[in-house]
Amino acid sequence: MAVRTPHFPDLLFNSAARLRRWEGALMGHFAAHGYRELHPSLVLRETVPEGALRFFDGDDLVALRWDFTVALAGLLTRTFPAPPDRVAYAGAVFRRPVQPWEAVERFEVGCERIQPEGEPAAEADVELARLLMAVPGLLGLKSAILHLGNAALVRRPLEAEGLFGELADAVVAALSRRAPHRVREALDGHPSAARLTAHAEALLSELDGPGTLGALAASPYATLLEEEMHHMDRALQALLPILPPNLELRVDLADVAGLGFYTGPTLRLWAPGAQQELAAGGRYDRLFPGLGRPWQAAGFCVRLSRLLDLAVTRPDLFEEPR
Amino acid sequence: MNQTLLIAFPKGRLGDELVPLLAGTPLALDAAALKSRVLRIPTATPGVAALLLKGADLPRYVAAGVASLGIVGSDTLDEMDMDLLELADLGFGACRLSLCAKAGVSLDDLRAKPHLRLATKFPKATEAWLAREDLTAELVPLSSSAELAPLLGLADAIVDLVQTGGTLKAHGLVETAILGRSSARLVAARGAYLSEPGRIRPLADMLLGALKAKR
Repeated sequence: MAVRTPHFPDLLFNSAARLRRWEGALMGHFAAHGYRELHPSLVLRETVPEGALRFFDGDDLVALRWDFTVALAGLLTRTFPAPPDRVAYAGAVFRRPVQPWEAVERFEVGCERIQPEGEPAAEADVELARLLMAVPGLLGLKSAILHLGNAALVRRPLEAEGLFGELADAVVAALSRRAPHRVREALDGHPSAARLTAHAEALLSELDGPGTLGALAASPYATLLEEEMHHMDRALQALLPILPPNLELRVDLADVAGLGFYTGPTLRLWAPGAQQELAAGGRYDRLFPGLGRPWQAAGFCVRLSRLLDLAVTRPDLFEEPR
Repeated sequence: MNQTLLIAFPKGRLGDELVPLLAGTPLALDAAALKSRVLRIPTATPGVAALLLKGADLPRYVAAGVASLGIVGSDTLDEMDMDLLELADLGFGACRLSLCAKAGVSLDDLRAKPHLRLATKFPKATEAWLAREDLTAELVPLSSSAELAPLLGLADAIVDLVQTGGTLKAHGLVETAILGRSSARLVAARGAYLSEPGRIRPLADMLLGALKAKR
C-alpha cells in the first residue's frame, strides 16, 4: 500500500508521464464516442459539503473542486437550458480522505451521459458499461473485473418497508460490510427484520457471473425487484458477447457504495489484487431534479491516482508500455 | 508477488480461544512456531500462514490487504470503523460491553453526578451510549487495567468488556448497564475479496469449516 505524505502528491517523471498518457488515452476514447470535454472551475463558490478543502477568498468562503459530477451539474444547470447529452472531464479533485493513506488531491477522468427525464435510460447504461469495458485495455491492465450492481436492489426494499434515517443507514452499513448478521442485529425487533435479513442473505449469497442474478429469486422482494432484474439481465445479454479478452464480468448484487447518491445500475472496475476499485459510477437520477432540472444522468469516473499507485506497487498488473 | 495467503489471528483472549479450536484442522498452527517468538506462523495447509497480531492492530493489516482474512472482536471493529468486510459472526469470544462501577453504586447514582467521569478503551461505543441515554461525561482514555480506575478515584465508573465477571468481582466492581455485545468476527480485505473471490472465498470457507467442525 503506497502511503503519500503529505497528501498532495508531487508526481515525478514516470508517474507524470503516465498520468498525461492515461488522461490522453481516456479522453480520446470518450471523444471518439461523442463525449465533449467540460472543465468546471477548480474553485467552487456554492455550498460545499464536509470533507471539501475550504478557504477564504477575501470575505468569501470558497472550496476547491471536490467532485467532478457535482461541479459539472452546477455548471450545466447554470449554463444550458437543455443538457448536452455526453460530457467528459479530466483533472484533480480535492477531498479530505476517509482512510489515512488516501491522498487529498486526486486525479480523475470520467464521463457523464445526461438525458431529459422520461427518455429510455437502459441504452445509456449499457453505453457507459461498454465505454468502461474498454478502459482496462487503454490503461494497459493485464486483466480486470467489471462489477455490475444496482442501487435499487437495496433502496427499493428499504423504501417499501418505510425504513429511512439511522436504521436504514445501519442496514446499508451492514450490507457494505457484507454482514447479514449485522442486518439482523440492526433490525432487532423491527417488523421487517426477517424479510430484510433474508434479502441481505440473498444479495450476499453469490459474487460471480450471470448466474448470480438467480440468487435474487430467494429474496422476499423478488417481485418488487423484477424490473431491476430484467434490466440487469438485458445489460448482461448486451455486454457478454462483446467482452474484451482479460476482462471478467461479475454481478455484485450487494453493491451499496454511494447508495445515497446512486439510484440505479452501478459499475465498478477492479484489478485482481488491487485493494481499491479503479473506476466507479452509476445512475444518479436525483441530482439534476434536486437542482431544478428534469434531467436524468449516469456516468463513471476512472480514479487515476489509485492507478498511479498501483503502477508503482504492482507493476506486474500492467503490460509494458509500448 | 508472494502468493502465500496470510490470515491475521488475534493474540490475547480471543487468540487463546481460537488456537485450540484450530488444532487438528487444515488451519492448525505449527506448534513449534507457536512456542517461539515468531509472529508469522505456518499452518497445516501449504501456502497459508497466520500472522499473530494485537486486536487493535489487526484490522489495519487486513484493511490494507496485507492479510486477506482476519479474526477480530466486533468491539474492536466498532471502535475502529475500518473499511473491512465482515463475513461471519464466529460465535466464540462472546462478551458484554458493560458500564461497571463499585458495588453499591447504581446507574441512577452515576446519572445524578454533575461531572461523570468514565474510564474506557472504547470511547466510540461509550459516546454512542451516552448520546442514547442523553448523558454527558468526561471520558478518561485507558488502554488496559481499567478496573483500577474507579478504585483509585481516576473515574466514577468504567466501560469495559466483561466475559465471566471474574475480574470485576476481584476488584469489587459490578455491571450497572450493558452497552452492547461482542463476539469474534471473520473479516476480509474489501479489495482482495471483491477482486479475487476465487482465491479468498475458499480460504474463508476453509476457516469457517474448521471452526464449525470443532464446535
